Amino acid sequence: MMKKSKKVQWFWTWVIGSVLLRLILVYFPKNLNLSSRPEVSTPLTSIRRLAEGYWLKQSSMSPYAGSMYHGSPLLLTLLGPLTVTRIEGQPDHLLCSLLFVMADIVTAMLICATGKKLQAAYSSSLQLVGLHHLSEDSDVLPSGDFAALVYLWNPFTIVACVGLSTSAIENLMVLLTLYGACARLAPLAAFGWVMATHLSLYPAILIIPVILLFGYGPDAPPRKLFRQRKNLEVENSTTGDKSCLEDELINEKSMRSVFSWRPVVLFLFWALLWSSYVLFLCGIYVQQHGGLQEMFKRTYGFILTIQDLSPNIGVFWYFFAEVFDFFRSFFLIVFHGNILLMIVPLALRLNHRPCFLAFVYIVLASMLKSYPSVGDSALYLGLLGLFAYELKDMQFSFFLFSGYVGVSLLSPVMHNLWIWRGTGNANFYFATAIGYACLQIILVIESVSAMLNHDRMITKLSTAKLQNVKS
Amino acid sequence: MAENENVTAKKPRVRPIVRLGIFLISHSNYVSLICFVSGIVALLLLPILAKNTYVSENALMPGSANNMLSTHHVSHANKFINDLTDSDIESHKIIAHYMSALDAEVTYHKFYPQLNQFHPLHFFTSPDSGLVSKNISCSSLGINVAGIIRAPRGDGKEAIVLVTPYNPKKVGPGEALSLGIAYSVFSLLSRVTWLAKDVIWLVADSQYGEYSAVAAWLREYQAPAFHEADIVNSEICNDSNAINELGQNAYSDRKLYGGFRRAGTMAAALVIKVAEQGNHHEDSLNIYPEASNGQMPNLDLINIVNYLGVHKQGLRIKVTKMFSLLGSRWLNTLGGIFESLGQIARSLNPEWKFGISATEYVEGAATLASSLYYQGLGVPTGPHGAFRDYQVDAITLEISPKVSPTKMIRRNEFILLGGRLIEGVIRSVNNLLEKFHQSFFLYLLTSSSKFVSVGVYMIPFALLVAPLPILAASLHADASKSTPQSTSSTEVDVSHKSWKWLNAARKVLVIHLWGAIVSLLPYFLYQIPNSTPTTNFTVWGILSAFSLLILYFISASPIFEAAPSQPEKGEWASLKSVTISTAFIGLSLMSVINFATAEIGALLIVPICLLARPLKLDIRARSLRALLRATCNLVLGFIALPPVAYALTKGAFEGFYGTNVGDYWNWVESLWTWNSATYLYVGIVHLPCWALCIHILFHPC
Repeated sequence: MMKKSKKVQWFWTWVIGSVLLRLILVYFPKNLNLSSRPEVSTPLTSIRRLAEGYWLKQSSMSPYAGSMYHGSPLLLTLLGPLTVTRIEGQPDHLLCSLLFVMADIVTAMLICATGKKLQAAYSSSLQLVGLHHLSEDSDVLPSGDFAALVYLWNPFTIVACVGLSTSAIENLMVLLTLYGACARLAPLAAFGWVMATHLSLYPAILIIPVILLFGYGPDAPPRKLFRQRKNLEVENSTTGDKSCLEDELINEKSMRSVFSWRPVVLFLFWALLWSSYVLFLCGIYVQQHGGLQEMFKRTYGFILTIQDLSPNIGVFWYFFAEVFDFFRSFFLIVFHGNILLMIVPLALRLNHRPCFLAFVYIVLASMLKSYPSVGDSALYLGLLGLFAYELKDMQFSFFLFSGYVGVSLLSPVMHNLWIWRGTGNANFYFATAIGYACLQIILVIESVSAMLNHDRMITKLSTAKLQNVKS
Repeated sequence: MAENENVTAKKPRVRPIVRLGIFLISHSNYVSLICFVSGIVALLLLPILAKNTYVSENALMPGSANNMLSTHHVSHANKFINDLTDSDIESHKIIAHYMSALDAEVTYHKFYPQLNQFHPLHFFTSPDSGLVSKNISCSSLGINVAGIIRAPRGDGKEAIVLVTPYNPKKVGPGEALSLGIAYSVFSLLSRVTWLAKDVIWLVADSQYGEYSAVAAWLREYQAPAFHEADIVNSEICNDSNAINELGQNAYSDRKLYGGFRRAGTMAAALVIKVAEQGNHHEDSLNIYPEASNGQMPNLDLINIVNYLGVHKQGLRIKVTKMFSLLGSRWLNTLGGIFESLGQIARSLNPEWKFGISATEYVEGAATLASSLYYQGLGVPTGPHGAFRDYQVDAITLEISPKVSPTKMIRRNEFILLGGRLIEGVIRSVNNLLEKFHQSFFLYLLTSSSKFVSVGVYMIPFALLVAPLPILAASLHADASKSTPQSTSSTEVDVSHKSWKWLNAARKVLVIHLWGAIVSLLPYFLYQIPNSTPTTNFTVWGILSAFSLLILYFISASPIFEAAPSQPEKGEWASLKSVTISTAFIGLSLMSVINFATAEIGALLIVPICLLARPLKLDIRARSLRALLRATCNLVLGFIALPPVAYALTKGAFEGFYGTNVGDYWNWVESLWTWNSATYLYVGIVHLPCWALCIHILFHPC
């Protein structure tokens, strides 16, 4: 008990420390000039573009005029007024920064809560398959707190937050989805999913993990283990006495392997409700400026057709700057198909671990996104912490860590060499982008294979136990 | 599918590349030894591998036109020099008068010498327009004079810049001559019809330093600051001389204009200087190309100067070299060895012509060393350095006459020689269609006509640092293997074996944080009034040690210890592997920012990183090899400490006479004031890695 309270105390100290660090950095925006870095602000997440959009709207023009702003109208109403309020003697955009700091903290808290839910569910399901010692093990490391701290102290998160990138809000919405789904709160999950999709389109693919979460419950060992166990116990119970408690256990086990449609339908209903509501609000906002069609063209169309080819940490800008115009639409389909191609196989393989599936989807999306920024990496690196127990045997962790450090330092230097010194060229910068993409690929591959190994280990132990019981 | 294969095939087939990796990692000791030695050998071979320079951009066509500069222009220039040196009115007015007489547009640019401020992350970010320092005294006003000739055939979008620094308080004979050379060229260019780019002649007021004057003018040209409050204030206090006369002149002379005038983007810039001392042998030309952080101008600019200087004007072109290396015995021996090797090779097959003579080798090595040194220092070698920050290629040409300019008889001849060279270079640059891009930006010079390109000089560096990741991987593998594998899964293994490095990484992070603190300390030490370098250095050292102690205690306290564990057996190995990885990342990063620093730094830090091993283990082993390694470690650890390394290098090149600890402070201060990335490298990469290696040496295992 003592230890636990001490741990909680340390957790809060670290959280407050991260907030203080952000506040200190917010006061040096001039020196850091982070909001103009290509790594931090993409055409979709830049606060300067948002301020421009707001200004256009205030002077009763379409916020999308002139290809400056490509975000959501709702974000304009939320953040727009904050971009113009200045407090005397304080840095510009102070209120925005404070909002982003708050968004970061709420996200971290949501990660923490999600982690607790996942951990509780996981240890109980481990007990159900009869692996009691593993369930004790998994309780030792508070993965929720750990993941929250990883998210808060990740330099990428800090840089994105201080650089006033709106990806903090997008991340918050994604986490709302995951938390809502883990806590089985259909309205919340639906709201998060609708908003996240509305803000940056790519989280739309999260609908699969969310449906799986509502259908099967949070991450658990492979489903066939429950079935085996159930069969065994049914066999046993036919011979022995049937107690009330055992009956309950068996029921729960059977529930684990059955897809429950009710919450899923509820979620879909709420999603429909929220999306029509969001569209309605947007419709009102852009009514005089071309309506929803214009909005879709300027936001989703802009994301999908990759019109802005200014350099970023992704791999698309370089390719589409080189490609001939008449092949452009073909390659657009191929590149976007990449993400869609991987959705189904992964969903089939990892359907018993919907949260991990969501993590993998997020990594894939942030790698193959048209305008990626470090804010996206911050999200998936934070989520990675949630699976600290399952991924404890992940290979190449040190290599990945060094790689991330190296690439994130090398990339600005290469950019400087290309843009400001003029001694390098676009290839220099693109090389780091490729390196970065490779690191993310290795991360996905290693984490998925570590997770599958973990599953294999559990299966092995569980079947061994069953054999023992039988013999 | 893959799973099935794994299950069925009991012995998993290993792909060749993985097998190669495993082979390298398992033989990491030999691999690192071979790599390191071959890295040093490759570095020594660089003078032999140097290629002859060639003019790569076809449009330049150096020397294809006959010189038009005649004795007529020279005699005008002579008159100008005489007026400048003899008259007692302010020299900038004479210069402006002469310029406007040539139908040039003349502007004065007044500036305040800017205190150098430290922008440590300059190479990470975009250049900013620079902040005008607040307390400007009215007395320290400098006046640059800039004349612009508009090209008759150009669209005014491009320009070539000539810079002649001079001190208006005391115009020396050398400065006067350089002004004369520039004037003769300028007077020619104002009449020619072939000019396609505007020509700007900047007479920089060098009384507060040549660099700052040129930098101030460039800042105004490229990135004007719009907060003029300070300047207005200072104009009020500056009632007497310059400003009012500027206004009056504007009425009298239509060519003189009070505001700042611009021509187009700069294609190239030439800084012309004349050495004050004669060199008694022949007329020669020194080229200074190095700008801040080891940036070099495009090689083509040096090529045309070299080509015209040698083939047209018969000048002897020189690049700075380390003269102390010329007489060194080991280098001469090495040169002899290489020469005989080349001869043997040639006797075997006359096609092989890689050998060069011993003297040539020594000359090349000395030039290469100085090229490395000045690039590595990151301090520009002349006012041309200011141009490079705006992506303009520029070099300083220092012409040194046979006899000292004070007692020069054949001044006209000398002006004609220099003027024709400048004319030729300008005519070549005038032909350019795009900005310089054909030739190399990344190169080292081994003589004025030989260079080592980036593809070649990266090889020694790559060989030097290649052992680091290999050894790190092997140590990491060992460290994670050495943990007692909890085969019985009942045992709770909290410190996950594949994440064991996290503890070491935390330590390394703390030490690098310390490095950052140490590099920030001089900022505060500057505030101490009238202190000597020696005391500053001592205070710096004491504060650094103190902060290290504090950080050490903080990091040892239980806040940071997730699970307080006893120092494990393999702990030093994982610590070393993380240290080596950070050294590798730091060196690779530095090789992009400033190659020369990374090369020199790798020579110092890589051996200790590779060899470091707890002394206790070596002493316990009691074998000759272990003791040898222990002594090597101690010596290398001592050498790699930055002040010691500095003192030793200085001693090696200049002799130990008169060396004191304050020198290091002065050196650091110069790096700091010139915004050199080398300073950050020493503070944030080298010093922490050194400290960690020492920590490993004295590790209680």
